Amino acid sequence: MKNFNWLALGFLAPALIVITVFFLAPVILTGIFSFTSMSTSTGVTGGEYLLNQSGLRALADKGLNQVTLDQLNNAGYVVDEQGLAALAEKHGTATADEMRKLHDNGQFSARRDMERALKDLKANKIRSTKDRKAAAELFKHSLLNERFEAEANFRVALVEGDIPIEDHEIIVTQAYTGWVWTVDNVKLLFSLPSTLRYAGNTLIYVTLTLIFNIGFGLFLAITTFYLPAKSASTFRAIWFLPRILPPVMYVLLWKWLTWDTGFIATTLSWVGVAPKNWMLDTSTHAWVVVVLINGSFGASLGMILFSSAIKAIPSSILYSSEVDGANRWQQVRYIILPHLRWPILFVTSYQTLSLLTSFEHILLSTEGGPGRATEVWSLAAYHIALDNYGGNLQYGLGATFAVALVIIGIIASLFYLRFFNFNEMVAKPKIEG
Amino acid sequence: MSHNFRHWPIIVILSIVSLPLIIMFAFQIIDTFTTHPIDSMIPDRITFEQFSFLWDEAETGRANIWKVTLNTFIFATTTAVVVCSVSMTTAYALSRLNFPFRRFFLGGLIILHAFPTVTLIIAIFLILQIIGLYDTLLGVIMVKAALELPFGIWIMKGFYDNVPWEIEMAGVQDGASRFTVWWKLVLPQVQPGIFALMIFSFLSGWSEFLLPQVLAPGNDAQVLSTYLTALIADDTKIDFALFKAVGMFYAIPVIAIYLIFQNKLMNIYGGGTKG
Repeated sequence: MKNFNWLALGFLAPALIVITVFFLAPVILTGIFSFTSMSTSTGVTGGEYLLNQSGLRALADKGLNQVTLDQLNNAGYVVDEQGLAALAEKHGTATADEMRKLHDNGQFSARRDMERALKDLKANKIRSTKDRKAAAELFKHSLLNERFEAEANFRVALVEGDIPIEDHEIIVTQAYTGWVWTVDNVKLLFSLPSTLRYAGNTLIYVTLTLIFNIGFGLFLAITTFYLPAKSASTFRAIWFLPRILPPVMYVLLWKWLTWDTGFIATTLSWVGVAPKNWMLDTSTHAWVVVVLINGSFGASLGMILFSSAIKAIPSSILYSSEVDGANRWQQVRYIILPHLRWPILFVTSYQTLSLLTSFEHILLSTEGGPGRATEVWSLAAYHIALDNYGGNLQYGLGATFAVALVIIGIIASLFYLRFFNFNEMVAKPKIEG
Repeated sequence: MSHNFRHWPIIVILSIVSLPLIIMFAFQIIDTFTTHPIDSMIPDRITFEQFSFLWDEAETGRANIWKVTLNTFIFATTTAVVVCSVSMTTAYALSRLNFPFRRFFLGGLIILHAFPTVTLIIAIFLILQIIGLYDTLLGVIMVKAALELPFGIWIMKGFYDNVPWEIEMAGVQDGASRFTVWWKLVLPQVQPGIFALMIFSFLSGWSEFLLPQVLAPGNDAQVLSTYLTALIADDTKIDFALFKAVGMFYAIPVIAIYLIFQNKLMNIYGGGTKG
């Protein structure tokens, strides 16, 4: 290179920036996230230190001794500025000032004692017992349910609470609410029985849909080839519509067809079949509908590619076969199908890879149901990380599921590199910049 | 071809297998403009009531339909413009300019082409939350445009590859810079390609469901696809006539574009995957 090609750099720059932020970074981050415990409850950016009742139970399970647990649990009462400020807010500054005069920095171990201390108030009595109880709570001083921004502060609080130093480590780990590095996701992936189920579902889904796609695509391409141009393009337009319609709209039509008040149920009720939901009644129903929805959507790709491949067959071959008396079946079997070998191979591989990772139509139609009968791998990843009923989105575990799909992405790209005749594509420019 | 064969058996078979789709499309249109008794499919009255969602006040908790439509339009148009303008320059560089690591970039383009949305979306979801673009239209637009980009570059590169080298050589010979050659000589040659890509990305943006659903679930950035999904998912009232009317309203631009540019679109859908 004599001089650096600034024009090329300028032309490439926007794409490079976009691709770095939205492709490279996400792929790398997915890999990183899969080794963390990130979820809604841990947050993304970092955590704080908070010990609550369930944390205490977890500590007990981990074998922390009862004495320490009681120390953590038992609330002491301290008359400090924080509590006084809360008291001032509730019962007025005068009450707080009097309390400060009487019991500044007073410490009480039981609530009864604290309440008794509150009874000492003369000028500003808190009359009702209920109010006094509530006021006592204001001075409660405990590690439980108190938030600490930094680890150091939390440790200081532990020392102040006279917690034995050898127990600090386990308590700090338990109290941290942020995410941590872990390989639990990978272990979980291999130990959960549902993993196997998702893989099995994916296998069923891909195989059945693929057979439908390719078979039906071929059928459409060959039959429309034999029709006059006008009716051929009508049928092609009908079968192309599923691809062009927005997926939400397309799946809505299928829902209407199969709903318990929909077309099939209504028509069949005329002959005495009780109406039911033909999409979600049993898992067989769900699978048939899922395959039909995706199959009708995918068949158009085969149809278009096979149609143009058939058009490329030299017409002299077809004419001469007709002169030789070949019937239509023989023409298809011995001339058209052999010519379609490469397009079929291409569409099969392409569809396999895109079906493995596609889940939009299933999400919109059965949502993986009934039960989890139609929950495929990619849908599971989506549900775990981005949308589940429990509400706790497990980004880390979802990312682990997605990593499996990243591997598929890599296999796919190797396949494309083979297929797209890479060397021809990178032919040298003829004008040296 | 095939004048020796009869057509009608094929037409009959094709009509039978196409029947479910034909029924769905036909009743989509019929049901939007008519009412029918509960246990029947036969319409008894022509009506425009189903479209009242267009002029009635929005229910509490739902976004205004016109605002949602405007969002969808902004989303689709901006995506299309960004994809086209970035693909226009990048594809030219990849197709015609010489620069270091050119092989690497081309290989990278194909690899990007193969990465499914689901592998990226979890991380993108977190990235948008960190940079503060979560639940905004701008954020979804950027993500959509980025994910659409490898395809756009790929298609545009195909169009540039078909422009004869002689045009550029003549331009360079006459003393024009490479930039001028691109702007004045090559771009007019690929105008049909830019136009086709523009339509394609617009449709793709108009139909997009998953990205807005995950990255902008709030009412402010709602688009028609998520609006319709929310309507269907609300199972307190299942009213297919309303769903279909909203769906019709949503799909009309798509169908109009499809009818006008049918052949162009079939080419790009087929060609996009073939390269």
